[in-house]
Amino acid sequence: MIKLPRILTAAAFAACLIAGTSLHAQEKVVKVGILHSLSGTMAISETSLRDVLLYAFDQINASGGVNGYKIEPVIVDGASNWPNFAEKAKELLEQDKVAVIFGCWTSVSRKYVLPVVEKDNGLLFYPVQYEGEEESKNIFYTAEAVNQQATPAVDYLLAQGKKKFFLVGTDYVYPRTTNLVLLKYLLLHGVPIENIGGGLDKDSTGKIISAGTYTPFGWSDYQQIVSQIKQFAASGDACVLNTINGDSNVAFFKEIVAAGLNPSDCPVVSFSLAEDELRSIPTTNLVGELGCWTYFQSLKTPENEAFLTSWNSWLGTESYPGVVKEKRAVDSPMVLSYDGAFLWKAAVEKAGTFDVDAVRKVLESGAVSFAGPGGLITITANHHATKNVYIGETKANGQFKIIKTFDQVKGEPWLLKGLDEQLAAQTK
Amino acid sequence: MNSLPPKPSKGAQAARLLAALVLLSVWGGALALAAPQAGGESAVRRMVVQTILSQGAAQQKSLGTLSESGSKVAHDVLMAWTRGEIYLIHPTDNSSVPVLLEEQQDSTGKARAIRIDTGQIVKDAHGRDLRFDPNALDTADTDMRLRSAIQQVLDALTLADPDPDARRAAVVKLGNSQKRAYIPVLEARRAKEPDESVRKAVDEAVALLQLADPDPAVQVVAVQQLSQLNSIGSLDHLKALAANPATAPGVAKAAGEAVKALQRHIERVNFFGTIFRGLSLGSILLVVALGLAITFGLMGVINMAHGEMIAVGAYTCYVVQNLFGAGFRFAITLPFTFFGKQVGFGLSLPGLNAGGWLYQSYFLVAIPLSFLTGALAGLVLERTVIRFLYRRPLESLLATWGVSLFMQQCFRMVFGSNNVDVDSPSWLLGHFSIHDVSFGYNRVFVIGFAVMIVLGTWLLLTRTPLGLLIRSVMQNRDMAACMGVRTNRVNMMTFAFGSGLAGLAGAFLSQIGNVGPSLGQNYIVDSFMVVVVGGVGSIVGTVCASLGIGTVDQVLQQLLQSPVVGKITVLIAIILFLQWKPGGLFSTKSRSLD
Repeated sequence: MIKLPRILTAAAFAACLIAGTSLHAQEKVVKVGILHSLSGTMAISETSLRDVLLYAFDQINASGGVNGYKIEPVIVDGASNWPNFAEKAKELLEQDKVAVIFGCWTSVSRKYVLPVVEKDNGLLFYPVQYEGEEESKNIFYTAEAVNQQATPAVDYLLAQGKKKFFLVGTDYVYPRTTNLVLLKYLLLHGVPIENIGGGLDKDSTGKIISAGTYTPFGWSDYQQIVSQIKQFAASGDACVLNTINGDSNVAFFKEIVAAGLNPSDCPVVSFSLAEDELRSIPTTNLVGELGCWTYFQSLKTPENEAFLTSWNSWLGTESYPGVVKEKRAVDSPMVLSYDGAFLWKAAVEKAGTFDVDAVRKVLESGAVSFAGPGGLITITANHHATKNVYIGETKANGQFKIIKTFDQVKGEPWLLKGLDEQLAAQTK
Repeated sequence: MNSLPPKPSKGAQAARLLAALVLLSVWGGALALAAPQAGGESAVRRMVVQTILSQGAAQQKSLGTLSESGSKVAHDVLMAWTRGEIYLIHPTDNSSVPVLLEEQQDSTGKARAIRIDTGQIVKDAHGRDLRFDPNALDTADTDMRLRSAIQQVLDALTLADPDPDARRAAVVKLGNSQKRAYIPVLEARRAKEPDESVRKAVDEAVALLQLADPDPAVQVVAVQQLSQLNSIGSLDHLKALAANPATAPGVAKAAGEAVKALQRHIERVNFFGTIFRGLSLGSILLVVALGLAITFGLMGVINMAHGEMIAVGAYTCYVVQNLFGAGFRFAITLPFTFFGKQVGFGLSLPGLNAGGWLYQSYFLVAIPLSFLTGALAGLVLERTVIRFLYRRPLESLLATWGVSLFMQQCFRMVFGSNNVDVDSPSWLLGHFSIHDVSFGYNRVFVIGFAVMIVLGTWLLLTRTPLGLLIRSVMQNRDMAACMGVRTNRVNMMTFAFGSGLAGLAGAFLSQIGNVGPSLGQNYIVDSFMVVVVGGVGSIVGTVCASLGIGTVDQVLQQLLQSPVVGKITVLIAIILFLQWKPGGLFSTKSRSLD
């Protein structure tokens, strides 16, 4: 008598299990990879991208999924270790058989993943401003190319009557390549070479191989550089193009303030400081300095306001482990990750299949757009995106006031070659 | 830019209240003399408000009229405006009232607002003070162009500023504007200018503006004037003048000579500037390494957690700053359960919500406290780990490395893995110049600071009974013990003292760099480098090594024009130096050391 109920419960339980799995089997699922550093030095920046991707997938699933398939995110940790990114990408493509990967932050991690996605014919969406000079058939770059960030900023400064430009950055591939592009761009726009500060590196044949002053990651002694900038700016109409990465910026801006260089005399345009970074930098030293991105949280468009409201309410209700809920800021890499998810969804729906070649073909046709929080974004044949570029001034609350908009700028990865040709034509 | 805006203090409010009362009495016809002044101020205030709320050409025009007012109020408000500290409140839907928020915020981050048009606190219908959250309010926005227009007005206003430094800065700015229209304004200023250095700046600015004069004779005089005044700012203008084929030959020749003279001047400035920067970098190295010179140099403990002692000092600064501000709190939930219950702990300290000079003085309180917290952390470390490892250097290296990782994780849990904000007090911002060599206040402060702590350490070691005990124990622990010295206790005190010095270093580093969990890691290598180069066991060696390394580093940076190559060269030089003198600069010769 006593045993009967137990058997009954067990049977009921088993029935439920079977029902559960059969229900689950009816739901069509597509696996999507998220490949970001969730530990190590880059975790501070990259975890935000994982969060915004999870939010995008929840939103997509709530509205019926992609072609009727629910997205099942597969999250792997790149651990700020570049060879590990390649391993994890391989794991995602070969074991989990994901349809697409959203991931990478540093250029070096992307360079490691590139051969893997090319070999396995995978698909990677890359969301963070980078130096260009790359175009893989398996990568789509929603990121800002140099002509969507650095050169529009220079255009703006030239229009403001700036005549002297000082280049300073962290010593790795992004600042060096960007500064080389900027050097050529400035020369092309009639800025004499003696008005470009920071020094030039030449190879043995006298060809200029890089411009600007560089410091290692984590450098904290900017006395010498700032005193150089001060002498450089003494004659007026000068500005600083800053590609310093990470927390070295704190020491740099403290020194700038101590030297009495203020933004109305000598503004600093920073290319690696967005709202997320400004959360951990005393912004009082930065008020009035400039930034240039393809999205600012302070954008007053209906799309952005809706996005921010919905993102904040998602943060309030979600239950993913490890998502920080308080004091969140949204910045360009996050929004470009989010845009990437919707661009991929649109392309899959247009192609009618998850097949990488078919999706790529649709994306390359230039027919896939998404009205994202930063404005309309369209993937073009060169795997980059056409989108709006904004210039903003830092405010004391860590947000930007938008002072200039460049509408629908097409991303161009190969700038150096074109600039060289134009310069050669100009000297003839 | 970072210096806090001149917001009305209690005294100023009282004065304003008084002014209002005076105005009332004027109404009654009693004090007729005060009327023009008080009326003038309120007129200026109305004008300022009108300027803030208007747009485009009207805004430019009313800005122009403000520049003629010469009013301090106008100056302060415009200054706050360029910093984005003027907020708009909307009493009704379609009216805006510009206000300044008081510096003093309550625990929810709200502050009282002062109306710009009246200078009074904003109150509700019942006469209670209203409080506002700065992040929820609209700011009266400015863009770059408007700011430079405001800047010009400010320049005109600051030309009459009581502070000679402000006047000088305004003069230099007008000189660089290349607008000859400013010449009469500047000459008028020169005629009534009492300060010698400002007169010199006016001469420079006028000469700079005269470079664009059509008359070659005036140009030559201007060029010579600039050369005599060592005007670095005019170098580009002079170069352009010398290179321009349209320049009269006499002028071009004079300009060429002036350029050469100026370049020689810049070389001199760079020479002295480099020495100063070398001293300041050396002082930072010294402050950072002095604690290690005691714990490693004297005691022989390889303390890998030295960097974290520095971080303890820096975080103490952060906590003290918050205690002077809105308070400090944290809560940690441990990642495991205990009998099915979540375990966690936290701390909540109320803040003083201080403002003005009281808030600015937080750093003075933070300095001794960071010494004490550093010393306390050192004391605990010594009692729990190091005292068991005095004769086992390798184990102490590993153990302290573990402690260092543990402490970094604690910082992450309590303060978060992002860097924290430590505001520099306004008296540490800015700089002064002597012959174009600029001396940052914070840099001068660190040099003074380094001198003080070296002096303090030296006095402690040579002039106090504790110093005597420390030296005896460090020279020969066993013999000292035989003589009745409680070596255990002396060890503890010495280690705590060394760690306290590291805490002091942290307090200072919070003013020049960022404060984060891995702060200590950035300095640990430099600290060991300095102590080893100076000679283990020698405080004098540490002082010489840090100043030497600092200066050589800055000189090489200046010569090679590259911080990375400069640093690498210094490291190579150190390796070679240690090959030549393995004991360091001042190697200790003692029978107790093998």
